[in-house]
Amino acid sequence: MPPRRSLWAIYKGIEPRHRVLLGMGFMGFSMLGIWVSDRLEKRFPAPADSRVTHRAPANAARPHATTTTQNYYPEPGRQAAMAGRGPQMPMMQPQVIVLKEGTDTSQGMPQLLSNISACIAVCDTIRTTLGPRGMDKLIVDSQKRVTISNDGATIMKLLDVVQPAARTLVDIARAQDAEVGDGTTSVVLLAGELLKEVREYIEEGVGAQVIIKGLRKAADLAIDHIRELAVSVDRSDAAEFRALLEKCAATSMNSKLIGSQKEFFTKIVVDAVMRLDQEELNEDMIGIKKIPGGAMQDSLLVDGVAFKKSFSYAGFEQQPKAFDSPTIVCLNVELELKAEKDNAEVRVDKVSEYQAVVDAEWKIIFDKLDSIVAAGANVVLSRLPIGDLATQYFADRNIFCAGRVSKDDLDRVCEATGCRVQSTTTGLTAAHLGTCERFEERQVGGQRFNIFRGCPRAKTCTIILRGGAEQFIDEVERSLHDSIMVVRRAVKNQAVVAGGGSIEMELSRYLREAARQIEGKQQLIISAAARALEVIPRQLCENAGFDTTDFITQLRARHAQDPKRFRWHGVDIDEEAVADMFAKFVWEPAVVKINAISSAVEAACLVLSVDETVTSQRAQDPMANAQPAPGRGRGMPMMG
Amino acid sequence: MSAVYTTDEYGRPFIIVREQDKKARTTGIEATKAHIMAAKTVANIVRTSLGPRGLDKILISPDGDITISNDGATIMSQMAIENQIGRLLVELSKSQDDEIGDGTTGIVVLAGALLEEAEELLDRGIHPIRISDGFEQACKLAVAHLDKVSDVIPWSKDNTSDLFKCAKTSLGSKIVNKCHDQFAQIAVDAILAVADLERKDVDFELIKMEGKVGGELADTELVRGVIIDKDFSHPQMPKEVKDAKIAILTCPFEPPKPKTKHKLDITSVKEFEELQKFERDAFEGMVRRVKECGANIVACQWGFDDEANSLLLQHKLPAIRWVGGPEVELLAIATNGRIVPRFEDLSSEKLGYAGTIREVTYGTTNESMIVVEDCANSKAVTVFVRGGNKMIVDEAKRSLHDAMCVVRNLIVDNRVVYGGAAAEISCSIAVDKAADQVSSIEQYAMRSFARALDAIPMALAENSGLPPIETLSFVKSQQIKQGITSLGVDCMDTGIHDMKEQFVFDPLISKRQQFLLATQLVKMILKIDDVIVHRADEE
Repeated sequence: MPPRRSLWAIYKGIEPRHRVLLGMGFMGFSMLGIWVSDRLEKRFPAPADSRVTHRAPANAARPHATTTTQNYYPEPGRQAAMAGRGPQMPMMQPQVIVLKEGTDTSQGMPQLLSNISACIAVCDTIRTTLGPRGMDKLIVDSQKRVTISNDGATIMKLLDVVQPAARTLVDIARAQDAEVGDGTTSVVLLAGELLKEVREYIEEGVGAQVIIKGLRKAADLAIDHIRELAVSVDRSDAAEFRALLEKCAATSMNSKLIGSQKEFFTKIVVDAVMRLDQEELNEDMIGIKKIPGGAMQDSLLVDGVAFKKSFSYAGFEQQPKAFDSPTIVCLNVELELKAEKDNAEVRVDKVSEYQAVVDAEWKIIFDKLDSIVAAGANVVLSRLPIGDLATQYFADRNIFCAGRVSKDDLDRVCEATGCRVQSTTTGLTAAHLGTCERFEERQVGGQRFNIFRGCPRAKTCTIILRGGAEQFIDEVERSLHDSIMVVRRAVKNQAVVAGGGSIEMELSRYLREAARQIEGKQQLIISAAARALEVIPRQLCENAGFDTTDFITQLRARHAQDPKRFRWHGVDIDEEAVADMFAKFVWEPAVVKINAISSAVEAACLVLSVDETVTSQRAQDPMANAQPAPGRGRGMPMMG
Repeated sequence: MSAVYTTDEYGRPFIIVREQDKKARTTGIEATKAHIMAAKTVANIVRTSLGPRGLDKILISPDGDITISNDGATIMSQMAIENQIGRLLVELSKSQDDEIGDGTTGIVVLAGALLEEAEELLDRGIHPIRISDGFEQACKLAVAHLDKVSDVIPWSKDNTSDLFKCAKTSLGSKIVNKCHDQFAQIAVDAILAVADLERKDVDFELIKMEGKVGGELADTELVRGVIIDKDFSHPQMPKEVKDAKIAILTCPFEPPKPKTKHKLDITSVKEFEELQKFERDAFEGMVRRVKECGANIVACQWGFDDEANSLLLQHKLPAIRWVGGPEVELLAIATNGRIVPRFEDLSSEKLGYAGTIREVTYGTTNESMIVVEDCANSKAVTVFVRGGNKMIVDEAKRSLHDAMCVVRNLIVDNRVVYGGAAAEISCSIAVDKAADQVSSIEQYAMRSFARALDAIPMALAENSGLPPIETLSFVKSQQIKQGITSLGVDCMDTGIHDMKEQFVFDPLISKRQQFLLATQLVKMILKIDDVIVHRADEE
C-alpha cells in the first residue's frame, strides 16, 4: 500500500507540535461542518427523513457494512484503509460507537476464508522441510542471530506469525514438539491441508459447525484405525526392543542434517535414553554440550557427566586433574574471601582490634575450607564462585575444585554420583559425598572438559556434540532432541506404524471407504479429510523431486487393491519407488501420528469455528491498525 | 515476501508475519545460488594466501589496528563478514583452528570449490540433497583413501627430525620462513617440553608467548622458564638472583584490612601514632616472615607502597609487583612453588626454586623483563618473539602457534600425508575412479567432488606462479603412471615432485578434518532453500 505508507511517512515527519495543531484544525473544521449542516437541516427540513432506510444494507456478504464502529473524524491513513472495504458510508448517519476507536473487527464467512488463506500461506512456508529430501530454512532475526533449521516447531517459532488464525498453527507445532517431539512439520501441513480441502465447502455455504463435526468424526475414525494397525513390539526381548528404538530414532533423523550419519547418532540417542531411569525418563538428565570444531562423527556419549571447565583462578593448574574413585562434594556456597554482609560496617575502636577483625574474616573462610577437607572430599564443585584463595588452598591439599558450575550440570552430577547439593559446609560429613569411578579433566577440541565417568547411579549421561559451525551444532542438537523425545515415547509405548507416507495413505483409504457408508454432508467432509491426509506422501514426493501424481495414484491403487498386503506401502525416497515401508524399517511411534492427527484436526476446527476477529488497538498507536507499530516485537517473549 | 503476502476476498491485504515488510525472503534454487555466490566470493579472498608462495593480507580494524596475516582463520575472523553464509565459512575456519590449528585456509578454499561445483550440478537440475548425498559418499571415500596413503612417521624424544619437518611445512607459507629452521625447532622443542607423552596430551596453557617489538625475527628464542613483563620494584635491587627461592604471594604488602566495610575513628594524636606504629609493625612483620622462611625473592600479585618497597630493599629482598594472575600461576608451576594467600601461611616448603632470575633490558628502550630460568619444573616454557614491528611479532606468534598445533597433532596421532596437495590429488583420482561404479545420480556429485579437490593443487600452483592446469595434469598423470601417491605440486621450484623427498608433511588428522568439515558445511548450505532475513531497523 504505497500511497498510505507515504502519507503516514509525511505525517510522521511533521513536528509533534504541528501535528497537534493539524489535528485540532481538523477537529475544528469538522465541528464547524456539523454545526453548519445542523443549522442548514433545521432551516430546510428534508421532505421525508430517510435516515433509517439508508441503514438497510443490501449486501450481506460485505464484511463491513454492518460495522458499528464508524468514527466521525477518520484519520487519513484509516480512511485510505477503509476505502478498500466498500463504499463510503453516507455522510450524515447517526453513529453508535460500541468499540473503541481503531478497533479492527472483521467477521462473517469472508473472515473465515481469509483465515484459511492465512493458514495455508504459513503452511506453504514450511512445506519444503518435510521428509528426507526436505530442505532447511535459514532465518536471520532482527538481532542478526542466524538459525538454520529443519524442525517445524523451530521454524514456526522464528517466523513470528501475528495473524491470529495462523498462530494456532504455531501453537500446534509447539504442542506437538512438547508432547512427542517429532512430527512438527507434518502436523502443521495436515492442519493446513484440512483447511484447504474444506474451503470449497465453506464457499458453497456449508455451515462451519457441520464441517467441524465431520472433521472430528474423521479424526476419531482415523485414530481408532491407527490403534488397530499399530504393531506392538514385545519389550521383554531386549535386542528386538532396542532395534525398535533405533528404527524410530533413525526415522526421525531422516529429514535432518544428520541424516547421513544416522547409524552413528541413533546409537548415541538410544544409549542415552536407555541410560536414564526407565520409570521417569527425564530428558533433563541428558546433558547436551556443544563444542565447535571437529566433525559430526567426533561427537561422543559420556556415561556420566561432562561440563566445560569453568573460569579458574591462579593456582588451578597446580591442582590434580585426574582421580580414580574420587569423593565429590557439591556445594552452593561461595568460597571467597569477601565481606560477609554487604551493608554491614565494622567500627574499630582500637588499632589492635584491626588485626582481630581481619583474622575473624579469614577464620570464616578457613573454617569452611577446613570442614570440606575434613569431610574427605577431593573434588569440590560449587554453583557459586570459588575464589583464588580457596583455589590455592585446595591446590595445596591435592583437591580439585570448580566454581560457577551451572545448575543443571550440578544437578546431573548429583544424580549420577549420589551426592546432594549442600548449602552450608558446617556438619559436612563423608555421608554427603558422592563418588564415581573416574574423574578427569580432558581436552575436547579447543576446550577443557571435566568428565565424570562410571557413576554408580548412572541415570544420566552427556552427549558432546561436535561440528563445523555453531549453527550446525545447534541444528544437530535440535535433531537429537527430537530423536530423544521419540525414543522416550517409544520406550513408554511400544506400538509403531510405518512412515514414508504409508500410514497416511492407509488412513486415507480407510476414511474414504468409511465415508461411503455415511449419509449426508458428513460424507463429503470425511472424504475431504481423506484427501487431506494424502498431503504427507504428496509432499514427500514433491520435495524429492518425484512425479507426484504418478506416485499418489500408484499408492492409492495399491492400497485400494489389497489393503492387507499393501498396508504399509509408502514412498521410498532412496529407491524412488513405491515400497513396503515397514519392511524398510521406516518406523515411527504410533503416538506421534495419533497426536499429529488429533491436534491438526483440533487446530482446523478452531480456525473454522471463528467467524469474527476483534483486534484491540494498542493505546498509544491508533494509526497502525493493520500493521503493528514498527519497533515492536523484539521485546515480545519468545515462545520456547 | 511474496509467499505469505495474502489478500482476502476483497483485496484487502492482511498481515501474517510480524513486520512483514521488513523481512526479505529468498527461496528455492535462487537462495541456494545466492549462497554459493557469497561463499565463492569469500573463498576467493583467502585463496591467494594458500601455500608457501601465498601472499599476505592486510586487515585494518575499525579502530585502525593493523593486522597482516597469512592465516586463514585470522583473516576470516577479522574481515567482519556480514553475509550469513560468509559467516558460516568464518566459523568453519575457526573450528578448524580450534581443533587442529592449521590448514585454515585450505578448508575454506575446499568448501568454496565444492560449492562452485555444486552450482554446476544445480544448473543441470540435480536435486540439492542428491548432490550433498553424493558429496557425502565421496568424502567418505576420500577419507578412507587418506588413511591408505598416510605414512607413519617415527619420532621419539631424541629423534625429532620428522616433527621438525612437519613444523617446517606449516611455517612454509608464513612470514617467518626467513628463519624457517629456527622457528620450526622452537615449535618442536616447546611442545616436547610440555607434552605428556604417556597421555598424549599437550596443554597449551603451559606455553606462553611473549612478544616484544625490536630486534629481529632471528632473535626469537625459547626460554625454558617464565618471562614476566615486569621489572624489579626498586631500581636499586640486584638485577640478578642466583639459586632463587621465590615466595609467590597473592596478598598485598600492606597492613591487614578487613573486607567488610569498616571505620576507624581517630580522635587523638596518640591514637594516630599507634596506628602508624601498627602499620610499620605490620610491614616489618611481613618482611620478617618472608626472610624467616628462607626466600630471597618475592613475587607479588598486588602492589605495595613505597614504604614497603624501601623496607624490602633494606632487607635485601628483591621483589616483583603487579604480577598478573596467569603469570603467577605459570611462575608457581615452573618453580614448583605454592601460591601463598597470606603471610601467616608462608613456610619454606611453599617456596619455588629457580636457577636464575634476572632482569633483562632490551635495546635502548627503558623496557625490561624478568626472565626466570632453570626452574625446578621444566614443564612451563615461554617463547619470546622479537621482530621489527608489531605486525610482524603478532604474525610470528600466530605462525608459531600453527606450527605448534601441527607438532601437537603429530604427538596425538603420528600419521602424516604428503603436502604440496599430493594427498588431494591422490584422493581426487581415487574418488573419480570410484564414481564410475556408482549407478545413481550421485555419480555426478562424486565426480564434482573430485574436481573440487583439484582446486587445492590449482590454487597452490597458481600462487607459486606455475601454470595451474599444466601442473595439475602433469602431477596427476605422474601419480597414475608411477603409482606414487606422494607426488605433489613443486611450489618451491626445486625440480623434485616427490613430497616425500622434499619432506613436506601434513598431519593426517588435519587433512581428514578439512575434508569432513568442508563437506558437512557444504551439505548444510545446499540444504537451505529458504532465507528469511529481518532487515535491521531503520530507526
